[in-house]
Amino acid sequence: MCSVSQFYSTRGIHDIDDKYKSRPDELEAILPIIPTSSLYTQPFQVPPGHDPATYLTQLAAIPSENGDNVPEIKFDHGTTTLAFKYKNGVIVAVDSRATAGAWIASQTVKKVIEINPYLLGTMAGGAADCSYWERRLARECRLYQLRNKERISVAAASKVLSNFLYYYKGMGLSVGTMICGWDTKGPGLYYVDTDGTRMTHHVFSVGSGSVYAYGVLDAGLKWDLTDEQAYDLGRRSIYHATYRDAYSGGVVNLYHMKETGWIKISQDNVMDLHYKYADEKIAQ
Amino acid sequence: MSILEYNGSAIIAMIGKHCVAIASDKRLGIQAQTISTDFRKVFEVNSGLFLGLPGLATDVSTVERTLQYRLNLLQLRESRLLTPRSFMYMVSSLLYERRFGPYFVEPVIAGLDQESYQPFIATMDLIGCPMEKNDFVVSGTCSEQMYGMCESLWKPNLEPLELFEIISQALLNSVDRDALSGWGGIVHVVEKDRVTTKHLRARMD
Amino acid sequence: MLAIREQQSSSDRAQQPISVDLPYPGFQFDLCLRNQYLISKGFKAPIAVKTGTTIAGIVFDGGVVLGADTRATEGEVVADKNCEKIHYLADNMYCCGAGTAADTEKTTDLISSKIRLHSLNTGRQARVQTALRMLKQMLSRYGGYIGAYLVLGGVDCTGAHLYTVHAAGSTDKLPYVSMGSGSLAAMATFETQYKPGMSMEAAKELVSEAIQAGIFNDLGSGSNVDLCVITSRGVDYIRPYKEACSKGVRQGDYSYKQGTTAVLETKVREIKFDVVSVTEHKMEVD
Repeated sequence: MCSVSQFYSTRGIHDIDDKYKSRPDELEAILPIIPTSSLYTQPFQVPPGHDPATYLTQLAAIPSENGDNVPEIKFDHGTTTLAFKYKNGVIVAVDSRATAGAWIASQTVKKVIEINPYLLGTMAGGAADCSYWERRLARECRLYQLRNKERISVAAASKVLSNFLYYYKGMGLSVGTMICGWDTKGPGLYYVDTDGTRMTHHVFSVGSGSVYAYGVLDAGLKWDLTDEQAYDLGRRSIYHATYRDAYSGGVVNLYHMKETGWIKISQDNVMDLHYKYADEKIAQ
Repeated sequence: MSILEYNGSAIIAMIGKHCVAIASDKRLGIQAQTISTDFRKVFEVNSGLFLGLPGLATDVSTVERTLQYRLNLLQLRESRLLTPRSFMYMVSSLLYERRFGPYFVEPVIAGLDQESYQPFIATMDLIGCPMEKNDFVVSGTCSEQMYGMCESLWKPNLEPLELFEIISQALLNSVDRDALSGWGGIVHVVEKDRVTTKHLRARMD
Repeated sequence: MLAIREQQSSSDRAQQPISVDLPYPGFQFDLCLRNQYLISKGFKAPIAVKTGTTIAGIVFDGGVVLGADTRATEGEVVADKNCEKIHYLADNMYCCGAGTAADTEKTTDLISSKIRLHSLNTGRQARVQTALRMLKQMLSRYGGYIGAYLVLGGVDCTGAHLYTVHAAGSTDKLPYVSMGSGSLAAMATFETQYKPGMSMEAAKELVSEAIQAGIFNDLGSGSNVDLCVITSRGVDYIRPYKEACSKGVRQGDYSYKQGTTAVLETKVREIKFDVVSVTEHKMEVD
């Protein structure tokens, strides 16, 4: 079983122990209620054997074209999600379609996970994986806040998630998420996935429709957009992705991360958007 | 993925009272990527006789051109119009010729007999097993959804306007549960003296 | 290619056949390489309609009874709820088909034509044995790749005959037979209840029971029982003989108000009829 330090390697979390050392009375009061690592005390179940990743691959594997065995545990991969920073914060926009093969399982998926009032996560890849691990993340963030009397930074939060996912690398988890928030450094935006990638940038788009979203996004993205311009850019990017990508669709959910926390801006059916944009084009 | 699903398609034909209707979606995709939302997969091979070809787009074109050619030639030679049933056997023969290397299309045929005005619909698998029906036929990437919609909505003796609503709703609600088809719909309703063609307002995702 | 055409004189062109692309007899293999390539690229080969069937037949006193269910399947989807699986071969013989639906349809069609030609050439009614030979010779040439599993029954100048034909070309001549995915259920019925020299009514009832055993116990079989009774006096094709599973009556009614479906564009076109010929009949007045 993994050690505690494997999960808490960010600077912010190492700080916990230091702070506890300096205030032993408080530590004593909290310790019986809060375990030092929830993952340590309640591990995620993996198959038996000394090498779970290899075991899983044998168990549920299909031979792929190049001869490798890929775990066949695959869920909806179709999605378009995007997030970008601009002068007034972070815009997060997502579609709402869930597919299983060509079958549209749902058109009303909430792909923005509200971790806490200052953190949002997006959902791409396995829906269950995303919502489970971001729920675990929410718990870690809350514990951090209770221990430290201050909010966790976006950097630290994204690293906690990244470490969770890296521990299970190769076992068939599928998560591609953007962690968006606001901390002492201002707006924060990180991309985290199950390969173990964790990186920060001012714009990301994730999912099968991301190529189309990037096309629209890159054409219109500027640092000093007004709020309305930024909202429109996010919406249009997702709309165009739903038009071209078979596995994206439904509604566009739009969030704005501000200094005061996130607010939900809008929810628009892409069918209404399509005919609205078409009318606007004719009017021009 | 089956090669029949490569481009995405959905076609329904239904019988009404002294009329038939055939409806199709308009998408041409390459797997997940939508290329066109104005792709023709239903062809009027004779006045009032329609051929729907869901399947691999390259074979849709080949089969349509080949059949139109054979049909025209035959009709010129015989100086008469082929009945819908004869045309069905023509399609069936073309497909069965390639029993061991088939075209990837599962055709739908709908029309009114030019003499008796009897409505006719039929479908076949990709090697040309003809299946005549007296209610509805479906073919395409969301055939299961279309079967479900048609089994619930269809009833005997639908008037042309009712038939239009039923076939349109069956199509639209089926493709809304299929990622690979949709992006608009087109419906032809064939009556004794006219063909009404309507383009549907549909979800474009 | 263009240049060659230009050199041809107009008279040469007129002599060329108009239809260079009319179907050749037999199978075409031009798409096999492409399709094999697509499969190697990971695209699954599509499935054809299978009959997924219970077919059976017995010999009774004076003739044969053939029976079939009426379900056609495409994977786990019921493609046809009331298909015809007892195919016409000649006036004195019919053939039940199981396996790949297109193959049973086309094989029986082809043999039917050959039998017709044969009887026109010989001036006699063809024997069941002749049809059997034609079927097994054709199927064995294709080494089982034509997926037709048949029950052949008929009456000729030598009496009543009942055969099974497997796709590979092997055949059996038996007093009671069954084929298809429901053949075990049907055969179980025959094994317990068949008696030599049954009456026509008893035979019909027994075949119906056998087909129903398939309909109820085999997922690939369903809907109705079709029967075909062949005697020296003629053929009685009963379709359906029994509706084993009738669909419940729908209580509700879904109908849409006119105008429910939003339309972007409407075109109406009159169908014009070609007047093929006009004949004028003059009244005789002398």
